[in-house]
Amino acid sequence: MTATPTFTINRRQILKLAAVFGATATLAACSGPSLGAGAGAAEAAVTDWTGITPAKEITWWSNHPGTSKLIEEEIIKRFQAENPEITVNLVTAGANYDEIAQKFQAASGTNSVPDLVLASDVWWFRYMINGQVLPLDDLAKHLEFDTADFNTTLYDDYTFTGNHWAIPYARSTPLFYYNKAVWAKAGLPDRAPKTWAEFDEWAPKIAADGGVTPLGLGKGASWAAWWFCNMLWGQGGAYSDEWTMTLDTPEAIAAADYLQSLIYERKVATVAAVDQVADFGAGLTGCIMGSTGSLTGILKAATFEVGTGFLPEGPEGQACPTGGTGVAIAADRTPEQQLAAGMFLKFLTNSENTAYFSSNTGYMPVRTSARDGETMTKVYAEFPQFRTAVDQLETTRSQDWGRVFVPNGDKELTTALEKIMLQQADPAEAFAVASTAIATSFDENVSAYL
Amino acid sequence: MPTIVDLHRSTDSAVAVSVSTGVVSPVTPRTFTPRKKKKPWKSWLLFLLFAGPNVALLIVFTYKPLVQSLYYSTLQWNLGSASAIPVGLGNYVTWFNDPGTVRVVTVTLIFTIATVGGGMVIGLLFAVLLNRKLHGRGAARTIVVAPYVLSGVAVGLLWLFVFDPNFGITAALLDAIGLASPPWYNDPHWALVMVIIVYLWKNVGYVALIYLAALQSVPRDLLEAAALDGASPVRAFRNIVLPLLGPTTFFLSITTLLSSLQSFDIIQAMTKGGPLEGTTTMMYQIYQEGFQAGRAGYSSAVATILFAVLLVVTLIQMKYVEKRVHY
Repeated sequence: MTATPTFTINRRQILKLAAVFGATATLAACSGPSLGAGAGAAEAAVTDWTGITPAKEITWWSNHPGTSKLIEEEIIKRFQAENPEITVNLVTAGANYDEIAQKFQAASGTNSVPDLVLASDVWWFRYMINGQVLPLDDLAKHLEFDTADFNTTLYDDYTFTGNHWAIPYARSTPLFYYNKAVWAKAGLPDRAPKTWAEFDEWAPKIAADGGVTPLGLGKGASWAAWWFCNMLWGQGGAYSDEWTMTLDTPEAIAAADYLQSLIYERKVATVAAVDQVADFGAGLTGCIMGSTGSLTGILKAATFEVGTGFLPEGPEGQACPTGGTGVAIAADRTPEQQLAAGMFLKFLTNSENTAYFSSNTGYMPVRTSARDGETMTKVYAEFPQFRTAVDQLETTRSQDWGRVFVPNGDKELTTALEKIMLQQADPAEAFAVASTAIATSFDENVSAYL
Repeated sequence: MPTIVDLHRSTDSAVAVSVSTGVVSPVTPRTFTPRKKKKPWKSWLLFLLFAGPNVALLIVFTYKPLVQSLYYSTLQWNLGSASAIPVGLGNYVTWFNDPGTVRVVTVTLIFTIATVGGGMVIGLLFAVLLNRKLHGRGAARTIVVAPYVLSGVAVGLLWLFVFDPNFGITAALLDAIGLASPPWYNDPHWALVMVIIVYLWKNVGYVALIYLAALQSVPRDLLEAAALDGASPVRAFRNIVLPLLGPTTFFLSITTLLSSLQSFDIIQAMTKGGPLEGTTTMMYQIYQEGFQAGRAGYSSAVATILFAVLLVVTLIQMKYVEKRVHY
């Protein structure tokens, strides 16, 4: 056999390679973003909606939260019956909010942008600073949206620079779930602990008499830093005050110390390996903080009776963050398409459809009229646990900007909380690392766009 | 005197020869038309016809994005935004100064060395085993190779349950011998071990398959001669089979390295880079920064660094390792 020639590259070949790359670079530079600072949110475009005819066809990107594809299709059917001149195409654009957001951002500047897109609590702000979504106040006024009927916290979640950038749709909050059988064995009253101090009293009984780990905690991105808002705010702390990180305050450190003590000192809490909801459903833990969006699934999966309650209060009182998703209208579409999209958005979130969606999925009724209407009243009668979730809505508050508005904010906070929960790291140190990273990310990725 | 080869090469010469020999039939009119010189543009057309589609696809889907990524790496650009701010080498400086970079590089190195090294050794062992005349060899070969053709996400989801410390098979097996399940999902080191195991399970069949093909082309007479000379099977394997497998080993070292450094699906399905970013490789970081954090410029910078690393490692392999291949 002959020897295989060894690899060599000479000057001429290097020059050829450089020429190929140079030519491709010229080609590449023809596309991509334009250069310059100060790029940012779409200017509050002044469109005179009165002279515009709605487009005949619009597209809506959804991940069908709460396995709601059939529900969404039914709402579209109802809309088309009322507006036969407009066709709504429902597109499954991802398995979750993140996947939708990734596609929506990647599609920016192309013809593939949808007219309506889901905009979750951690994504709508980025759509806004990228100039990808339309400020909705003018359009809502023109279409006579009844915005006063929306739950104020949920509607105002999407406010920045005096405009609303999305309309609440599939909204959720964390909720306290407990295993009634375990509670009974431990001789506890059939209710959630009112405060964390009360939980501290109950936990040894749950462990000793109930025979399970009292509290199951969840880790991972888009999750840990969400439910931790309860402990953090309950202690009087916060992730940030607008854009200034406030994780170095004694209140924030006290919240993390408390969380750590539940796992390592009192040993009454455990961090789930994969899925805290599955562990709870299998009877491994006595209680969890889960999403209200999981309510239907938990009730179906559990082999025991499930109780629900408000999240326990901290020394500074009740604290519960909002979550879930709204719907936004893309900025990069014609006024005709935006008008048709606005008409559908108004229909999608009217009182009747809000109740229809909530009663079938377990998401919060975002309108007061829907919350108190006939459909939801029937649901409360059948599933009293749902009523708890709806009542808790009155105590919720919008999330801190440091978590939801800064790229990597949630990721950095999750890493800090995982260090605290899984490695018993010093909370002050873990929070300091996260604060620095989030502040840097704000400088690099947000402030230039505001 | 032109040779027959020359005549074929040059139609002009052919005409000259035919004229000079004077062999022209007086009865039959001359029907012979000399072949015209093939025009260069025809060759080009033929070349474009065959190579054009491939070249166009390569330019549009490989080289253009590659160069575009290089350009984006010099921008501070939020994915989805219509405008960006030029920052020169700022993204590279940020990556090299980031305290998390050491961890990402370490995780990438451990993952790559374990999956490439482990995959080659285990794959070779399987290949040797499957090369023997054993009962049920066909079924065994299928079983070893099958995971390679499965979707990485499906494999990841399957193993997610296998490693579940409460409900998984590993926990049950360890429990049977009185051991507790390691914290696969809550400890960054165990999580890395877990994804390495799953990656090896999925990809070792590929290495085994290629080695098996190579083993079957090892000349029997050499092994028989060695046996006659009294060489033990181990010695024959070390001194005859392994050197003959050199080109295959070299080929596999490049392909498995490239595939390992670009591994994404199993990590995404099982750990999403966690816990504590303990399974965040450079490839996963590119996805995380680009699509989750929306830092398209920074993500492109990490992609460029990974590209440079792959290029350098491959060049080194081609330049130095290939020289050690014995045939």
